[in-house]
Amino acid sequence: MTDTNQTVFSDATKVHGDVVIEMDHVDKLFGAFQALTDINLKVARQEVVVVIGPSGSGKSTLIRCINRLEEHDAGRILVDGIELSEDVKNIQEIRRETGMVFQQFNLFPHLTVIDNITLAPRQVRRMPKKEAEALAMELLERVRIPEQAKKYPLQLSGGQQQRVAIARSLAMKPKVMLFDEPTSALDPEMVGEVLDTMKDLAREGMTMIVVTHEMGFAREVADRVVFMADGQIVEVGTPDHFFQNPQEDRTKLFLSQIL
Amino acid sequence: MTVEIPALSRGRVAALWARKHLFRTPLDALLTVVFGGLSLYLIYRAVLFAFINGRWEIISDNLKLLMIGTWPRDHLLRVAVAVAVLGLWGGLIGGLIAGRQIRLGISASQGMSATQRISDLTRRFGLMIGTLVLLLLLTSTGGPWLMVISAVGTGLGGYWVGRYVGSFELARWTARLGLLVLAAMPLAAYFYMTAAVPLGEWEGFMFNMTSALAGIVLCFPLGVLLALGRRSKLPLLKWVSIVYIEFVRGSPLFVLLLLANVSLEFFVPPSIAPSKTIRAIVTFTLFTAAYLAEIVRGGLQSVPKGQEEAAKALGLSPTKQMFRVVLPQALRNVIPAQIGQFISLFKDTTLAGAALGILDLLTGAQAVTQQPDFVGQGLIIESLIFVAFLFWVGSFTMSRESQRLERRLGVGIR
Repeated sequence: MTDTNQTVFSDATKVHGDVVIEMDHVDKLFGAFQALTDINLKVARQEVVVVIGPSGSGKSTLIRCINRLEEHDAGRILVDGIELSEDVKNIQEIRRETGMVFQQFNLFPHLTVIDNITLAPRQVRRMPKKEAEALAMELLERVRIPEQAKKYPLQLSGGQQQRVAIARSLAMKPKVMLFDEPTSALDPEMVGEVLDTMKDLAREGMTMIVVTHEMGFAREVADRVVFMADGQIVEVGTPDHFFQNPQEDRTKLFLSQIL
Repeated sequence: MTVEIPALSRGRVAALWARKHLFRTPLDALLTVVFGGLSLYLIYRAVLFAFINGRWEIISDNLKLLMIGTWPRDHLLRVAVAVAVLGLWGGLIGGLIAGRQIRLGISASQGMSATQRISDLTRRFGLMIGTLVLLLLLTSTGGPWLMVISAVGTGLGGYWVGRYVGSFELARWTARLGLLVLAAMPLAAYFYMTAAVPLGEWEGFMFNMTSALAGIVLCFPLGVLLALGRRSKLPLLKWVSIVYIEFVRGSPLFVLLLLANVSLEFFVPPSIAPSKTIRAIVTFTLFTAAYLAEIVRGGLQSVPKGQEEAAKALGLSPTKQMFRVVLPQALRNVIPAQIGQFISLFKDTTLAGAALGILDLLTGAQAVTQQPDFVGQGLIIESLIFVAFLFWVGSFTMSRESQRLERRLGVGIR
């Protein structure tokens, strides 16, 4: 297990060796429960990393540590060269650079779609209203629902809400996008539209870490697949290598259960 | 073959309904007869009292005293002007909101015909307007009529102006200036009135309404701050909030009012001690803020954790996470409880009369029964019914409006 726990880069041509996220011997405890153990992971610019694993394996905790929704207890996390520390300014700077999309969308129900998207650019980046709204409309075009701008989130379908959530994150022009099971709360017929949006994003060169159970997405889009179990990274590899030729017994067992 | 089913006559439908709901079994029939008879008797007595036996001249003779206390006749014009300014103010605000809603396409009256609008407005404000007309009918002079008519006039004028202005998206500085003007209007009316009669001498129903309004406006920010303080991570802030909230919620309002009446003399010389009215308002504010804090805390807890996380993930500062994302939702979720608290405050203003010796509506209503014309004739019933009726009209209208607000804000939210 220890040798695969090393940071491995794929030979994907996208990777330029420019590291955006670096997790170095990261541990995370919830009380007495060790949620993450000795996590080492480097993500290069424009790379798409898909994290899979059984539930409770620490996948969500891993990406939630990157933007400090969870505080890690040991090790170092660097985002675009900035190390996460106790400093509030520092944490906010990192959060501005990392977008996050949640399983439950977490759109703001009291704001219209366009206000959901313009809130952070206006409040955090101090962008003028006109400019922020133009940006929001551009992003809504990109996720293909510009006609819903004036509606409230709960008037939209789950798939549309999740696309708004993606647009909302993109409005901050993040360097990295974190996806925490973005399709798990969706009705099956809406999964496709959200995955398509994410594929577009990957094609445009966004750096992405995606926690998902969508193996098709992992195969098609991922540059690397990270397999986690019991709070540890068990195996890392290219999708081809990972799905056709898994090395670890734990990985083989998991794949046999889901495929 | 088709079977012709004869349409039932109205009388037949009523008979069927009565049999099903009122006379299903012998016991049902007995209960219907007994309680129906009793209700009819009570209604008969109530109507008899209201229109024939009740001696309402005790109200009509003393209407001015009950409404504005011993306000000097020379300065009645100031009351009328202030009411007209408030009418304009209310009209402007209502118009601005309506204009904005029409601009955004979220107006409730959109798609309503004129008749529907009128029936909607009647349902909302008919009771209040009816009561106002009733009060006017009890007056013997033309002054009150002029006052109400001018206030209605400025109100309607303000509404149309507000609606016109509200239909435009104003530049930020224009909007801010407008808000300043709006905030200044009731203050101007207040200073105009206190220039003649200091706040400490405001009496009658006017005292109840102004002190309730002042209490509501002032307790709101304090209540929100206490709720935030109670959730704070700073131990000092947290404990101060908890001790304050629990202390105030553990004491009767009446006792606090009595304390406000006597305890201040320990700390400040009587020459600079605030007036009774100010003491009452401060006590109402501090008291209601503690209850409001608990209501708001409940609202804060009702907002899912994901909302705060999403705000964090976008890089909003902790203050903005709270004031832009969590708090607006929290306050919306507890509108009924908040308005309920405000209604309580409105009714509790009657305690100030007894505790601080202010001639408010209730104290006034008790006092007039001692006038030479009415003493010893048991007219306290008429007096108290009148007081109860006015408070009921105010509270019921607030309650109905709160339900409407709740429904309106629920659009696309739940």
